Amino acid sequence: MTHTVELVRRFARHHIVHHWIMLVCFAGLVLTGFPQKYSEQAWAKGIILIFGGVGRTRFLHHLLGTVMALQLVWHVLEVVWHAVVRRLPLTMLPDPDDVRHFWQQVMFNLGRAEGQPRMGRYTFAEKLEYLALVWGTALMVLTGVVLLYPTRWAAVAGEFVLASKAAHSGEALLAFLAILTWHAYFVHMRHSNKSIFNGMLDAETYAEEHALELERMWRDDAPKRARATAGRVAIFTLLAVIAVVGVAALWLWLRASAIPIITVDIGP
Amino acid sequence: MRYRSGQLITLAVVAMVLVAAWAGATDEQCQECHGSADQVAAAAEAFELKLPPEKAARLVVPAMATGSVHEGMACVDCHPRAEEIPHPSDLLAGNPCATCHEDAVAAVNTSVHRDPRGGSDLVAPCWGCHGAHDVRRKTEAGSSVGAFRIADRCLSCHVQKEYLSGVHGHAVQQAGLDVAATCASCHGSHDILSSRDIGSRTKRRNVSFTCGKCHGRIADTYRTSVHGAAITKDDNPDVPTCVDCHEPHGTRDPNQASFRVSSPTMCARCHADSALMAKYGLSTKVFSTYVADFHGTTAQLFQAVSPDAPLNQAVCYDCHGVHDIASIRGVGQEQINARMLERCQACHLNAEASFFTAWTGHYEPSRDKYPMIYWVNFFYKLVIPGTVGFFILYIALDWWARRRGRGHGHGGAA
Repeated sequence: MTHTVELVRRFARHHIVHHWIMLVCFAGLVLTGFPQKYSEQAWAKGIILIFGGVGRTRFLHHLLGTVMALQLVWHVLEVVWHAVVRRLPLTMLPDPDDVRHFWQQVMFNLGRAEGQPRMGRYTFAEKLEYLALVWGTALMVLTGVVLLYPTRWAAVAGEFVLASKAAHSGEALLAFLAILTWHAYFVHMRHSNKSIFNGMLDAETYAEEHALELERMWRDDAPKRARATAGRVAIFTLLAVIAVVGVAALWLWLRASAIPIITVDIGP
Repeated sequence: MRYRSGQLITLAVVAMVLVAAWAGATDEQCQECHGSADQVAAAAEAFELKLPPEKAARLVVPAMATGSVHEGMACVDCHPRAEEIPHPSDLLAGNPCATCHEDAVAAVNTSVHRDPRGGSDLVAPCWGCHGAHDVRRKTEAGSSVGAFRIADRCLSCHVQKEYLSGVHGHAVQQAGLDVAATCASCHGSHDILSSRDIGSRTKRRNVSFTCGKCHGRIADTYRTSVHGAAITKDDNPDVPTCVDCHEPHGTRDPNQASFRVSSPTMCARCHADSALMAKYGLSTKVFSTYVADFHGTTAQLFQAVSPDAPLNQAVCYDCHGVHDIASIRGVGQEQINARMLERCQACHLNAEASFFTAWTGHYEPSRDKYPMIYWVNFFYKLVIPGTVGFFILYIALDWWARRRGRGHGHGGAA
């Protein structure tokens, strides 16, 4: 007897691409960053050796960090497009329901409530992780920009550079441990959820974790995408231009005014 | 009737003895037995001696070469008892050099190589260094005590072979630079003393003067530094001398990248030693805070991963100086800041006065010193275990509940 599993589409291709970029950047940044944080450890030295020296390790770290920073800017613009131009609901943002869902799940787990919470497209656990990710990435990018040109910022506010280093280091550990615990549990242990790679989730899991969303899908009640009117597209374009110009200006200002510090590499 | 060669030689030797007894032995007569390996072998056979090969080889003494300082002297001048044939078994006892070189023997008798009984039976005999038969002036190329060969003589008893790969040994041996330091340059020759002896060239407080024979300006500067002054004036045994940083025998080239890369570890030998630093009220955090900093982290990783690669990060001596290291005690903060800025600007050309506020001055951040860093660290010290602890608790509860069969099919849309 074969048990056929009904699959429900959960993620579109752009979600999957976003996750892949994030996954590669995150893993790469952990691998190139932690050996610097724990530079006195033997394993750290081994990893640096594999990458071919401190210079190359840092170059990779800066490269991946830049990709992640650009991804963050891209994501913010994406959110703006959804919210402003298409007027779609921002389903990943938390609301008071999430607190109730969390509480109901705890009570249910303790055997004090009858049903599990009926949640929408994103569970409270996913929203928490999303918030932590956006907040964490923003903090890592901001402190990372300071650390990328420490001598430039030293002239502005010296202690800020060192505080940034402390924050970059602490936030990195927090993020890494969060991925190891929260993320690993919900997508690998609670369910083997591969939807972020193949886009599909089995209906059973979908029903358990996203009951409301599944019902909505069955009703074929997709949130309406507003027409992209010229006025709203103009607002978005303006914001996008500001973002791009802002990033470019920051980069040029740093490059032009930074006291260059180059770590001599071992060479090829 | 034919005589065997052995009998002939015996006859010849008897004849020689008779002649020698009458006229004193000549070098030519000595050569008849000692001139070549064959002759030595034949003589041994005649006297029915069994010579081990190395002893036989030693008994081969070619005629006095031209250019030897002893040219014109006869064998028996140094070996008077060699006129007795067969030679007495203690022929080589005693020091024949002492006859003429009383002063030199007396000088060696004040050194570590002295005869313990005060005679001329030196621990390191004259010929151990100068050679026995072909003694040359030390300025001559073939001299066994010349710059090029003397290390070979000393190292035949001593073990400091790293001299040969150090800058000095390398300069003499490979680069042909005869003025570079040899063993004798630092230890002396006839008057070598143990480094424990007062007055020894290698006694800790004298090292800077010994090195200063060639490196004069550096030695002068060193003696004004916090380390040099302490040992020169107060005979403090804790402070480093030249050889503590540069190594006495395998002296490394301080211009090599590897010296720079490993230098913080070198300073840390003392400055990270809490017992030693406590004696002087110095903090060992100077090293740990350096390693925690950009410069130090990079230097540590270079040392582990690419110890020979050029490092452009500041190491201890870039800020503190090399031979002129001074104490900051008794120096005002303003003066320190002014000097600091100069040091920063050596690498960070357009650094301004505010620049080194990005450095904690070897302080660990605290509520009073660099509070911003302290509170950021404090925040994560609470938030990391707090958050991860909450995650683990929640996960444990959820996992436990699901194992008990809750979840899956309860509630939900199905």
